[in-house]
Amino acid sequence: MTMPAASATYPTGRNVEPGPDLVMRRRVPLSRRVPMTVSRICWYLLCSLLGATMLVPLLWMISIALKPDSNILQLPPQLLPSSFQWSNFVNGPQQIHFPQLLANTVTITVLSVFGSVASSMLVGYAIARIQFPGRNFWFYLFTFSIFVPGIVTLIPIQRMFFALGLIDTWFPLILPSFFGNPVFIFLARQYFTAIPRSIDESAMIDGAGHWKIFTRLMIPLTKPLWITMIIMAFQGSWNDFLNPLVYLNSETKYTLSLGMANFMGGLSEAAPQFNYYMASNLLYMLPPLLLFFFAQRYFMMGLGTLGVSQK
Amino acid sequence: MMTAHVHVPGPRSRVAVRRSSDRHTNDNGDIEDPGATPAASGVEGIEDGITRTGGSVVAVTTEAVQPRSDSRAATRSPRRGPSHRRRTTMTAYLFILPMIIGVAVFMIYPLASSAYHAFTKWDGLSPATWDGLANFRYMLFEDPTFWPSLRATAYFVLLSVPSSIVFGLALAVLLNRMIVGVKIFRTIFYLPVVLPSIAVLTLWKYIYDPLYGLANQLLTALNLPTSQWLQSERMAMPSIVIIGIWGVGGSMIIFLAGLQNVPTEVYEAARTDGAGPVRMFFSITLPLITPIMLLQVVLGLVLAFQAFNQVAVLTNGGPGTSTMLFMYKIYTDAFGSYPNLGLATAEALVLFVIIMIITGIALKTSSMWVFEETK
Repeated sequence: MTMPAASATYPTGRNVEPGPDLVMRRRVPLSRRVPMTVSRICWYLLCSLLGATMLVPLLWMISIALKPDSNILQLPPQLLPSSFQWSNFVNGPQQIHFPQLLANTVTITVLSVFGSVASSMLVGYAIARIQFPGRNFWFYLFTFSIFVPGIVTLIPIQRMFFALGLIDTWFPLILPSFFGNPVFIFLARQYFTAIPRSIDESAMIDGAGHWKIFTRLMIPLTKPLWITMIIMAFQGSWNDFLNPLVYLNSETKYTLSLGMANFMGGLSEAAPQFNYYMASNLLYMLPPLLLFFFAQRYFMMGLGTLGVSQK
Repeated sequence: MMTAHVHVPGPRSRVAVRRSSDRHTNDNGDIEDPGATPAASGVEGIEDGITRTGGSVVAVTTEAVQPRSDSRAATRSPRRGPSHRRRTTMTAYLFILPMIIGVAVFMIYPLASSAYHAFTKWDGLSPATWDGLANFRYMLFEDPTFWPSLRATAYFVLLSVPSSIVFGLALAVLLNRMIVGVKIFRTIFYLPVVLPSIAVLTLWKYIYDPLYGLANQLLTALNLPTSQWLQSERMAMPSIVIIGIWGVGGSMIIFLAGLQNVPTEVYEAARTDGAGPVRMFFSITLPLITPIMLLQVVLGLVLAFQAFNQVAVLTNGGPGTSTMLFMYKIYTDAFGSYPNLGLATAEALVLFVIIMIITGIALKTSSMWVFEETK
């Protein structure tokens, strides 16, 4: 099989595919772009097999979520529900006070996403674009804190919040995010550094200060950056389990992660309402899933920036 | 004062050379960050003095500039002078104030507190009292779960880190081609990574249920022997690792980004020389991907040593001590029914040191297997 010249195929080989954009930069070896038919079929078979394997747990979960109560204790268990019991999606969430947990989680998530993104943008801007004594020192200190394992600081921080009387409140879950997230600061610094200097220089000649440049110029210019940070912060807060576990005691203040883990732990041989559980679990998964499908390229941007900068 | 600037063509390669050859150290004695573009490291604003004559330009700025320490700040904006510089510094510190407080309150203080309390007797109710090395002595020689939990952690790390790298790279190589539908497969493999970990873990807890779970159902259907999964001392840890392999899409996507940075020409050259796909993988792909591999190893190690949710949701460390990951042990010592905060902080420090040593070894030995492009 003869290979066409690279210059002839390269432009057509790019961006021809429909579908979600999972990876930002695409340069695929030419040899892999024009495979023979047999190998192509084998490739599809292998990928479909692996992909199906990956999806089986999720499909099984949906099947459980739709099962009627009578199917749950059935032995041997059946793969598919005998009939669809849609009310699981109402009764299940009701049983664990899902609306309350959702409201709690949304409150905590919104506040801590705002806090971490706003503070990290500020710090990232200053580190990247203002000349001041000690700039590099602070940058290295912030970066170092990425590598300190959470457990080392968890116990003293828990004692601190205990001394302040803030145990069993949401403060320990929200407050720290207002003081910057080192990973976000790292990302923001990379992004701000790449913006041409001339933009803020001309603004400065017009008499704008750093605050004005930051709010009027930089925030609109860095939309991909802060959307990426919002997504990462959302995931961190929505998925967080250890911190709610350490700080929250009363069930009315629980987050969804804590409530779901608690619900599962409470299921027993006597009352195995797995259909209720899986229905609630699907609802818990839904927001991150929707976010992923609507903002896929920003997920990848975060990863890409981190990966490239570490190289 | 006269300053000579050498202008190198190219959008981001402007370098200023000062007579005093202080290029790598700025006025505060900080090392200039090599990652910053020259524009960001304070040599901007020299265009006014530059005469462009094709390639490289030597420009002479004849500015009556103040002492050396001021030369950079002075060239940057129309408003000059020490008072402006002081104001800029103050603005900058106001901007980074959140992080300064954050680092002080949520990192420096806790680290110092941990370093002290590791040597105290401390139950959280009464004040801590100095206890010397008692916590460490107890940990090493008396604590019945310390060594088992270290062993379980080592087992977990040795199973999960290599498997995520091997499977992640394999999937990335498989999906690194331009075929209709490849993006759908990438999305499917990445999907489990997006889901909240508690949702995933509780789902798998049910999958592993010996009576009602999917795992045994499938094994029965295939006429294979069933297992007790999380309730068996031998299978509990591998079961946890399998859940991690289900989430291998995370490392796949990073490898994929790395693979797509491998220049096409290299493969073309190898193909003309008659290399097959296997040879090309081991001679081109693998060496060129080693920097990404190093990143994955380090990230994987750091995360694996701090794994917690799996055990907290699935096994509570059991059966026996077979899944007593060190993180979980620290958690139970600190926040369990009999809190021993002194012991827990000592253990947290031990974990910190272990992570530092292991990642240090990974980084130190990396020069032996990580391929560097510029030799």
